[in-house]
Amino acid sequence: MAPLLEVIHLVKHFPPAVGFFTAGQGTVHAVDDVSFAIEEGECFAIVGESGCGKTTTARLALLLEQPTAGSIKFRGEDVTTLRGKELHAYRRSVQAVFQDPYSSLSPRMKVRDIIGEPIEIHERLRGKELDRRVDELLDQVGLPQNAADRRPHQFSGGQRQRVAIARALSLSPKLIVLDEPVSALDVAIRAQVLNLLSDLQERLKLSYLLISHDLAVVEHMSDQVAVMYAGKIVEMSQPGRLLTDTATHPYSLALLSATPKPDPDIPMPEMIGGDVADPVNPPSGCRFHPRCPLRLELGSPAICSAEAPPEVDLAGTGRTAACHFRGAPVEAAPQPAPAGEPGY
Amino acid sequence: MEASNPVIAKPPAPPDDVLLEVKGLRVHIDLPGGRVAKAVDGVDFTIRRGESVGLVGESGSGKTMTCLSVMRLYAVPTAHVVAGEIWFDGEDLLKKPIAEMEHYRGNRIAMTPQDPLTSLNPVLSVGNQVAEAMTTHYPASREAARTRALEALEAVRIPGAAHRLGQYPHQFSGGTRQRIVAAMGMINKPQLMIADEPTTALDVIMQAQFLKLLRDMQAESGMSMLWVTHDLGVVAQTCDHVNVMYAGRIVESGDVRRIFKQPSHPYTVALMESVPTTHAKRERLYQIKGQPANVFNLPPGCPFYERCPIHMDKCRTAYPDKTPIGKDGFVHCWARQ
Repeated sequence: MAPLLEVIHLVKHFPPAVGFFTAGQGTVHAVDDVSFAIEEGECFAIVGESGCGKTTTARLALLLEQPTAGSIKFRGEDVTTLRGKELHAYRRSVQAVFQDPYSSLSPRMKVRDIIGEPIEIHERLRGKELDRRVDELLDQVGLPQNAADRRPHQFSGGQRQRVAIARALSLSPKLIVLDEPVSALDVAIRAQVLNLLSDLQERLKLSYLLISHDLAVVEHMSDQVAVMYAGKIVEMSQPGRLLTDTATHPYSLALLSATPKPDPDIPMPEMIGGDVADPVNPPSGCRFHPRCPLRLELGSPAICSAEAPPEVDLAGTGRTAACHFRGAPVEAAPQPAPAGEPGY
Repeated sequence: MEASNPVIAKPPAPPDDVLLEVKGLRVHIDLPGGRVAKAVDGVDFTIRRGESVGLVGESGSGKTMTCLSVMRLYAVPTAHVVAGEIWFDGEDLLKKPIAEMEHYRGNRIAMTPQDPLTSLNPVLSVGNQVAEAMTTHYPASREAARTRALEALEAVRIPGAAHRLGQYPHQFSGGTRQRIVAAMGMINKPQLMIADEPTTALDVIMQAQFLKLLRDMQAESGMSMLWVTHDLGVVAQTCDHVNVMYAGRIVESGDVRRIFKQPSHPYTVALMESVPTTHAKRERLYQIKGQPANVFNLPPGCPFYERCPIHMDKCRTAYPDKTPIGKDGFVHCWARQ
């Protein structure tokens, strides 16, 4: 059976912005040849720093942007060319929860209208029947029924995020795109929302595309993790395995060691330097090579800056990392960093 | 400027290695309709010279208000200190005329704010802004100010600092902007640096770089640091001593190892267990039920009572006294008396 959502060689370039005073500064290579698949009932995560293209990937999956090249298939059918009714149907099946529940909910609308509006539009329900559906949805996300008649400002951040989740659930979608769903929330509230998302996924057989920069959240929630850097997937964990246990790409290792551990006995890691690659002029060869600690360790081999590394290809060759020296399939694979903390 | 009034007998100053001592601080915020938020409701803590102290808690727990009180930057008269003392290097800051605080702010006490973009002026060059942080306190020639600004930018490891002095904030990345703000804070060699959620706007790698930079600068300069954050990972990697705040009070305090290995207050325990880690998957996270305490209407007893898994009857009616733990630690909990 075809996966629920399949992204094949997806490319999104933003043309240079030509303003009144500024000439175009070159094309932004936001997403550059990205492929992955999300199975039914699975949580697939994309992790990376700001500007790595993870949010653009999410927006492409939601068809909020048109891809420059490549295709997006939903249950085997290409959705990038859909129009009219069929596009309408796709939009029902794929919903989103955004990062900031303060700006993603209209302050002028009552919660009842925020959650009910999509149902009204797509299912033409009105009156009592609509109210009943809204009450059910509030119940599903753990909000009291009297919440329906209040406005967003009367809720805390965590409760607002629950409203946003209820709205996403209102059309019984198959896939929900979660774009940094908890990064605006406090730790204690974060746990509540993450647990709620896990429960809903199980109960409603949902699939998630989770976008986050927080590896701890990603590892906790997902069945499979893709690490993005400068518009490309540099590493993909094997389905059902933790990235923490299997990571070999120097960038993934750097991300892992940079994630603060709530344990005072773990010393602060040595950190890679430099800034995220410029998406307008991505570095030649491997895009991570200017910051790569492994390259330095190996005495700066020419191949890193000269040739793009082989692509991640789990289904085909079994390659897990896009690196000249790491992530090759089985026998050639060098052991990941020694036991304990990742090396970088 | 520093001479105190000789007529007023000076109360005993805190022991010498203590740089900052906050005693019984209460800050109330008046809101329209006569409502009063008890933002800070009796806070005591100390910071020694060279020590790194954390203030941890949820939004609304009063941690930022506590810091602003130390700088006396709260909005008078909406917010006002109802009671308490803030001893900094032997002087009670709350007794100072407000004009004299200028001598402390950005000079002896510096702050790195949460959002580096909004805290830099977009129409002034970075070099000017960094230099201004110094010339405000110590007038200097253009040349000397430039040299110091350059040194400050080099100290925060901005590559090509000489050529970037003339650039504007929008030409820098988020991580670099945060370093510029840190350079402004460090330029007068403060005795205390308050870092208010310094990394929430940064990505993990930038965050790790910046935390390391602050730790290194602290080690070199011997300054004290107050870390304000809700991120336990940041606390574990930066602090020597941790104060956990809930509803305007410090509910537990102790050495960082003790707090993380043997948390005592049920709120601290819950915080520790609700954090996802990279090593575990799909286990249900411990969740603290309910919502944070309402600072407009604090109960007479323990404000954590309703959310507490081990609450007892008396928790509802009376706030527990301090129970000491170890050398410098304590907890406020009836179950630990």
